[in-house]
Formats: sequence, C-alpha cells, structure tokens
Amino acid sequence: MTAVDLFVSPLGRVEGDLDVRVTIENGVVTSAWTEAAMFRGFEIILQGKDPQAGLIVTPRICGICGGSHLYKSCYALDVAWRTHVPPNATRIRNIAQACETLQSIPRYFYALFAIDLTNKNYARSSMYDEAVRRFAPYVGTSYGPGVVMSGKPVEVYAIFGGQWPHSSFMVPGGVMCAPTLSDVTRSIAILEHWRDNWLEKYWLGCSVDRWLANKSWDDVLAWVDENESQHDSDCGFFIRYCMDVGLDKYGQGVGNYFATGTYLHPDLYENPTIEGRNAALINRSGIYVNGEYSEFDQARVAEDVTHSFYEGTRPLHPFEGETRPIDPEVGRKQGKYSFAKSPRYDIPGLGYIPLEAGPLARRIAAAGPGAASHQDNDPLFLDMVQRIGPSVMVRQLARMHEAPKYYKWARQWLNEIDLKESFYDKPVERAEGKGFGATEAARGALADWIVISGGKIANYQVVTPTAWNIGPRDSRETLGPIEQALVGSPIVDQEDPVELGHVARSFDSCLVCTVHAYDGKGRELSKFVINGAV
Amino acid sequence: MASVLWFQGGACSGNTMSFLNADEPNVVDLITDFGLDLLWHPSLGLELGDNAQRLFNDCATGKKPLDIFVYEGTVMNGPNGSGRYDMFAARPMKDWVTALAAQAGVVVAIGDCASWGGIPATAPNPTDSTGLQFHKRERGGFLGANFRSKIGLPVINVPGCPAHPDWITQIIVALATGRAGDIALDELHRPQTFFKTFTQTGCTRVQYFEYKQATTSFGDGTRKGCLFYEFGCRGPMTHSPCNRILWNRQSSKTRAGMPCTGCTEPEYPFFDLAPGTVFKTQKVSGVIPQEVPEGTDHLTYMAHAAAARIAAPQWSKEDMFVV
Repeated sequence: MTAVDLFVSPLGRVEGDLDVRVTIENGVVTSAWTEAAMFRGFEIILQGKDPQAGLIVTPRICGICGGSHLYKSCYALDVAWRTHVPPNATRIRNIAQACETLQSIPRYFYALFAIDLTNKNYARSSMYDEAVRRFAPYVGTSYGPGVVMSGKPVEVYAIFGGQWPHSSFMVPGGVMCAPTLSDVTRSIAILEHWRDNWLEKYWLGCSVDRWLANKSWDDVLAWVDENESQHDSDCGFFIRYCMDVGLDKYGQGVGNYFATGTYLHPDLYENPTIEGRNAALINRSGIYVNGEYSEFDQARVAEDVTHSFYEGTRPLHPFEGETRPIDPEVGRKQGKYSFAKSPRYDIPGLGYIPLEAGPLARRIAAAGPGAASHQDNDPLFLDMVQRIGPSVMVRQLARMHEAPKYYKWARQWLNEIDLKESFYDKPVERAEGKGFGATEAARGALADWIVISGGKIANYQVVTPTAWNIGPRDSRETLGPIEQALVGSPIVDQEDPVELGHVARSFDSCLVCTVHAYDGKGRELSKFVINGAV
Repeated sequence: MASVLWFQGGACSGNTMSFLNADEPNVVDLITDFGLDLLWHPSLGLELGDNAQRLFNDCATGKKPLDIFVYEGTVMNGPNGSGRYDMFAARPMKDWVTALAAQAGVVVAIGDCASWGGIPATAPNPTDSTGLQFHKRERGGFLGANFRSKIGLPVINVPGCPAHPDWITQIIVALATGRAGDIALDELHRPQTFFKTFTQTGCTRVQYFEYKQATTSFGDGTRKGCLFYEFGCRGPMTHSPCNRILWNRQSSKTRAGMPCTGCTEPEYPFFDLAPGTVFKTQKVSGVIPQEVPEGTDHLTYMAHAAAARIAAPQWSKEDMFVV
C-alpha cells in the first residue's frame, strides 16, 4: 500500500488477504473500504467439469468451513438431480454440519477474537488483569483448553465423514457412510465430553438448559448475577468485560440481516427442491430489513462487481453469474478495489441492498413470526437488538449462543438415527438441471448455484458469508456491511485503533485482515493486522 | 529454540485448521513444551512487539535467523506473471517466497497446494498457480529443481488435502529436536516415514480387496466390500498413512465408506475432474480397472483376481461393518 507515517499495532502490521482502509476524523471513523487481496478462481475451475466436482472443489474454498461447503454443494446437486434423500442421511449431514460449527465457536473465540481483549489499551479496566490471565495466547487459563477442546466436535465429523477438514462424504441421494452402533455411541460420548469439559465448565458455568432458558436481555443480565459460577464463567466475564470497556456500544453494522438457514428436517426434505426448502428448515431462513421480516427467496440475490476486480456491467443472479477476473492494477484505474464481489438482495421498493450475514442474522431469523413446530423459535437476540442495539458484544454472544443450541440438536439427531434404515438412495445422474443449495457456515449464509448441461457443469457460482459481509461498495456507492459497521466507531487512540479490530473481527470473516487508518487528508495514521482464519 | 515463520499463499487454511486439531503435541504444547518460536502465523495471533513487516524483511534479508519456513497454499504467478492475484505485505506473495526460501534453514511445504499446486492448479489453472518445488509431478515448481535450503535440503513436501496434523507436527518436532538427518525423503520429497506405505495399508476393507469383493452402493452398501472396483478408490495407488495414523483420532475416509481420492499424490485432483471421473472407477472394456495396484500390471492383476474370486469365502460376500 502507500507509505506509512506511523505503525502502531496490537497484533502485527502487514497486509493480509483482506485490507481495510478507514478514514478517521475527530476521533470517529467517517469512511471505510474493505479490500480482498487474493483470487483463486474456483468457479472457473469448475466449468466443464463432472457435475459432482463441486463436492471435492468447494470444500477447499475454506478450510474452516469446508463441511458447510460440502453440505450446500450436495443439496445443490440433490435439487438439480431431483434425488430422494433418506431421513437418516439428512440426520448425518446435519450432525456433521453442526459439529463443524461447534468446532469453530471456541476455536474462533479463543484463538482469534479473545486475544484482542488483552490489548494494552484496556489496561485501564479493573478487569484487565483477569482478561490477560484467561485469554493470553497459549498461556491463558482458558485459551489452551478452548483451543484444544475445539478439536473434539470434529472427531464426530470424522466418525461419519472419515476426516475433518475436507471430506466429500455427502453425495446426492444421501451419505457414503453407514454407521455402526459404536459409531453412534462414541459420537455421543465425545459430545458429552466436550459439553462437560468446555461448554459448561469453561464457557457457561451452568447447564446448557439453564443458559437456553434466557429469553431476553434482562434474563441474561440476571443470569450473570445469579451465582458465582455463572458470574465468573468465560461467558459471564465476557459480558461484564464488554460492558466495562464499551464493546456493547459500537460495531452496529447495516442493521439489516440475511439468513439462508440450515439443518433440514429429516422427514420434510426427502425430495429437495428450491420451493420446499424454507418450510423444511429447522434453523430458519429469513430477511430482516428496517424492522420488517420477509421470506428468503434465492431469486432475489445478485452479485455486483462495480468495485470488484471482475469484468461485468450489471448485478447478475448467480445462475447467470460470471467470474472474469482482471489485473488489480488495471482495475484500480476503474475504481475497483477488491477481489470480493458485492452480493446484494432485492427488497421491493429499496432495490438491491447489502445485508449482514452471520450468527446474529441467524438469531434474528430465529425470532421471526410464523415458526412451525419443528423450527427454532428463539426471541433472545431480537430482544437484545431492540433493547441495546447490535454491537460487537451482541454479535459475539449470538455466535456463542449457538454452542448449547447446536449441541442439543446434534445430540437429538444422534438419538434419532435408525441404524437399520437406509442412508443412501442412488440417484439418476441427469445430464441437464439447475440446482440451489444453501446452509449456514459458522460465519453466515453460504450458497451454491449450479447449472448442469450436457452432463457437465455449465456454470457454478458460490456466494459466501465473507463476501456478503466484506464485499465492497456497489453501483449505487452503498457501503458493504463491514464497511458500514466501521463507520461511526469511536477511536480513543488514533495510534492504536483497537476498536476497528473488534468490529472487523466480530464478523469472523474468513480472511486475514489488515486495517489501515487514514486521517481526513489521506495520510496514513497506523496499520495493524487482525489475524484471521483465511 | 527453533524459529518458525508460517505463510499462506493461494490457500484455504485447511492445513492450518488440520494443524489445530493436533494432539501430542497439540499446538499449545508445541509452543510451550518444545519452545517453538512461532514468529508469525496468519491465524494464530501473537503480539509482535515490533513491526511485522520489518520482521519479514529481517527474515528475508538474513538479518534475523529463520530456522523453518512453512508455506501453505500455492505460489500464484498470475495474472501475466505479475503475482498480483495474491498480494501480501505490499508485494506479490511470490516475491516473499523467493526471498524467505533463500534464507531459511529448512523449507516445508504443507499440503498439496504448496507441494505441487493442488486444486487451484487444476486446468485451466486460472491463477497460474504452482507448488514450491514441483508442478504436479514435474520437478521445478516455483523455486526450481535445484533449490536447496541453507542446511542443504530440498523443500520437504508434506502433501495431503489437507495434511494430517501429525504429519505436520512430527516433522516440526523432528526438525526442532535436531533430527533433520533422520528425515528420509522419497523421489517426490515426501518423508518416507509417512509416505512409504499406501493409503490401503491398514484399511479395514483390505480383506474385501484380497478376495476382490466390491462395494456396490454408498450408504448401507458400505457395510461391506472394497471401494476400489466401482467408486474410484485410489487407496492401492496412493502413498499415505491415512489408515495407520487415523484422522481426528477416529477414522479415515475409506473406513467411513468414502473412496480415497489420492490427495497425497501430485496428480490430485485426478483426471482434472473431467465428466465421469468423480467417485467412479475408470475401466477398460467396461470391467477391468484402468489403473491397477502399484507395481502390478493388467495381466497379472486379472490372473490374481480370478484366483481370488474363486478362493473368496462366504463371509467376504457379506456385511462386516454391521450394527
């Protein structure tokens, strides 16, 4: 990037795969640009290939959510080939998807997010020494157990899928495995061990059910003070620390949310279709814009490349999507600044607008009206957003809230596996077809659109949660969600703007992220790195 | 104390995620028990005290000794040889690789992408990606066939998509405890201690293979049979310890019913994922496997198979992995 006047850094100071530039005026961020600095061309590689190539290629888009990529790429093929998926197969897919997310929650929190809480800027807090004692890299009393125990849930993934990361064991028509009795009992034992030795012991300080009884922000505040165990748990401490250092006060974002939902109900999605998907979801999909709920419709998604390093003149629906990269040096002269495209969603009356994806978006969707009896119906985070507004803290708590919830679902699906029933129904491999598959990776809505023609892939488009959140401006110059979330952040110390790190990090984008701070005259003030999970 | 710098090029971070699953040593042990001095890693936050870019420059110029340079991901040359599809710390990543590899005591390629290009280098290779010292099976790659690190070793390839955490941590521990001399490499620069054996070595389906009994369906069909005959399993032709050192301490793909895709070999993904090649055994005349186990030939294989089928006991035709 440009010459740098001053380096001040809590973590390090280099450009990574994502550069964030911000302008700071009078102690407040006034504008922001997110720049993804790497292109790998997976959608180009998939063109002309075997229809099932996405099962192998798309998990390799992201090593931390490869199981999520597999889940949705498989459903895209199920839809395109009009397969029958036995309920047992759906249960196994759900368990695997849930266990990947249960891995991500502590791994992300301790290895990537919580170390920022030990930043020296917080030394003024009376709770600072305790934050360092718990969260310091490698030596923190919670860091070690949290990072090491994050490997347990994916042991369950390996029992059904052979390995994690990067299995391709979900296939159109079901799954490749047929578990034995001990596969199921061992999986249960591993999840119980993880619950006992991390989730309840370190994170909650109470039972899973006690935490899930919280339905409002008042409930959460009462929970913190209910007893010493909860008050001093990592969760109790985190809430108190956030409120002490102000992480409940900024990082609001666009305030509009988008969830594709995940976890299909085993009995309600035996014949996957686009039309039948929303009603069959357990973790609901939904759109929440300006306080109004609407149903998610994949036809309303489009990707804008006005400021992305790709050729193209108008927003395209992914079935018609194109991926034609251009040299960043050439692109910059056209006002482009990122390898991420800008996914947008068409709201009647508003046009194509940016929406925040991620755990908070899922939690908002879970509070929407009209839940069927099999669907998650959880008012907690809508209450929090309405009471105290979205923030870095609320976004984090939404992510952590899913640990007890998904643990319970995974246990239930394990209980429901019928070992004597089928796990696979061989599909007809149709030469022509279109498919849409989606899920919720730990960090948000993830979807594939596949067009099969003449027995091979004619077009394949993947829209990731990271693109939803870090995507750049669009043709209307509307900022992307992280860009928007950064604007308005108060910067206490211009030479060490740790606040920016928290905001960017709270989205858990799959990118190593560098923040560059500039003053109103375009002089670079500081630059630091937020380590990411690529 | 061995200093380690870990960079990611055209990567998905899968090897890092695999590494974080490690046990004995786990990642915390590696730092606290083995005194590994992890100078920088993209996902593991460490307070750097000083300017990271200066640290990289100091490593790149030899001012700061770098014992082990770990690289994950492809080296991208595109577009048009500029390397600008992957910018890092103000320059193309490929320029960092050139500079750091020249100063490092040992260079370790983690995963297929760094070893030979992996999935990003699949045709049409839109980013002009390559591995550190191989491009697919061809010697050379980014650093050239004659590259040797400061202690005289070629790039150590720890392939796999991803590499198993043990393959990574045990090699790092070997290097950190002065056992570099014990790391015997094969012709593809893979440590033989892991990659001499086949993926099939230790596979629970090997008795079905012995009597040529095929799995004929996924799902409940995988309660019996070997995946080699119908589902394209590459276990007999692939070198890895996947069934000796289990994944996530639990299983392996072939044990779970998924055919080996050969991800520790340079050709991965095989046949460039052409239509009709995914999870399907390629056959000659509709019946004979196009590829037979390493070291044999079609005639020998068919004679052996015919005899094996005659010898097959009844149990080899029945479910073994039952409820």
